[in-house]
Amino acid sequence: MLKSGPSSGELGGSAPVAAARAGLEVANAQIFYDSHVEAVRDISFAVPPGQIVCLLGSNGAGKSTTLKAISGILFPEKGMLVSGSITYDGRRIDRVEADEVVRGGVVLVPEGRRLFINLTVEENLLVGGISRSAADRRAQLERVYDQFPELPEHRHRISGYLSGGQQQMVAIGRALMSNPTLLMLDEPSLGLAPKIVDSIFEAIVQLRSNDMSVLLVEQNAHLALSVADFGYVMERGRIVFDGSANDLMESPEIQEFYLGMNASKQRKSLRHVKHYKRRKRWLS
Amino acid sequence: MSYFWTLLIYGVLVGALYGLVAIAFALIYKVSRVINFAQGEMMMLVAYIAYSIALVTDGNLYIQIATIIAASVVIGAIIERVIVRPMLGRSTFSIVMLTIALAVFVRAFVGLFWDTDSHRYPIAVGGEMVSIFGVTFLVSQLVLLAIFFATCIGLWAFLKYTIAGIAMRATASDPAVTMLMGISVKRLYSIAWVISAVISGMAGVLYANIYHVGPSIGSIGTRAFPAAILGGLDSVLGAGIGGIIIGVVENLAGGYIGSGYKEIAGFVVVLIVLMFRPYGLFGERQIERV
Repeated sequence: MLKSGPSSGELGGSAPVAAARAGLEVANAQIFYDSHVEAVRDISFAVPPGQIVCLLGSNGAGKSTTLKAISGILFPEKGMLVSGSITYDGRRIDRVEADEVVRGGVVLVPEGRRLFINLTVEENLLVGGISRSAADRRAQLERVYDQFPELPEHRHRISGYLSGGQQQMVAIGRALMSNPTLLMLDEPSLGLAPKIVDSIFEAIVQLRSNDMSVLLVEQNAHLALSVADFGYVMERGRIVFDGSANDLMESPEIQEFYLGMNASKQRKSLRHVKHYKRRKRWLS
Repeated sequence: MSYFWTLLIYGVLVGALYGLVAIAFALIYKVSRVINFAQGEMMMLVAYIAYSIALVTDGNLYIQIATIIAASVVIGAIIERVIVRPMLGRSTFSIVMLTIALAVFVRAFVGLFWDTDSHRYPIAVGGEMVSIFGVTFLVSQLVLLAIFFATCIGLWAFLKYTIAGIAMRATASDPAVTMLMGISVKRLYSIAWVISAVISGMAGVLYANIYHVGPSIGSIGTRAFPAAILGGLDSVLGAGIGGIIIGVVENLAGGYIGSGYKEIAGFVVVLIVLMFRPYGLFGERQIERV
């Protein structure tokens, strides 16, 4: 397991087993916005091939910033990786353009779907496969339609008029069009009805069976850990816990602060949850 | 042919010229959200280069066409690479101000390198007159109209059906996410500037061929801008139609009210239309989920 810096979590857990490919490795990454606002401090983690790894944490913990750094789109927001490295399958990707990261097999589904809302569903999907040949793009389009059977009937609809769940399917399908080996999802459950969320997460689990790695950023810790192999917990730009999904689920700390449960695994009252910041032990 | 129809047909011919330049405005705006106020000056520069080449090549048509395309590509690519690209990430206002500065520079450069007089364009074809339904045209005016329609249809098909065109429309919607799809946004900007320069360059030479070569070519940009606004700045086809409308309105106003009103008639139409359709006649409404 990669150490997560000086504030590495107490859980440890079994390390994800790496296959022949190296997967994603983030080592001692430090990210600043505007040269002086530190968003991420010395974090290290790995996403081995064929596994689902989740990054948990509250708002402002630095999860989305980490995904943007991996994708190479920090620059438009005046962000910068000032130290550390990001490698994918042994190749550094922190100093290349975003389009090169995608061609290397790493694709991000951004928070809030961010579809091209004036384009049709099919046009959105085709843009996702722009790095492939025309024949490959058509073949992959059919595979995406197989994966999300609801989409073909909407293929000529303007995507901005779809429901939130349908938009999320298009967003994931669009990312799959480039045939990535690592799919990163930023808050895929955000703003969706529980039933839709279930179907989205079923699709995510299915992706792993296609030998794809998934890096999942999610505030809904219970949901994320239920599908993940391994998890990292971020707070204020640092990784404060890491471990297998089962270990994290069983951890009293995680249960108390992220799953809202007490020692006897009962749901805590809002009154108790509200005081969690004051009682966090690892930040004191 | 009645006076009205004559004015209308000549309005369409002038409008085709405005339409070409308006399309050039719209294409750059659609892809990069930048309004290039040097569009008119870019067409003037290409017209002067083509004029100089025509003088030394005796107006050979094939050399002319090759020169126009090559000069436009080089000018568009240099402006995008040297002036616009380093400004990426800065506010759109800064980039627009830069294009205004570029317009002033090009105007001054043309004055220094060539002169500020008007010259007859020395081309060997298109000077013949033809009469259709009692209205007499120059062949080059019909060529202008044909190029306008070909450009409209070609660009529409390019943006609608080719993957590069769809990517350009996607970039207009969300450049950051376009990068996440593996698209080089910088390359798309470059393509848009080059295509735009070729279109406005063609328009410049067509104008020079019909009228004259002179610094006044630059002012076509100012006349074509309201056409782009009228059609919808983010609608390439709309900008072309806007050009035709402005041309016709200008000609009718000049013919029926007085030549002094010709200049302002187009702007009056733009004002009225924008009051009811702020995004122009064919501009895309922004879809917002509530």
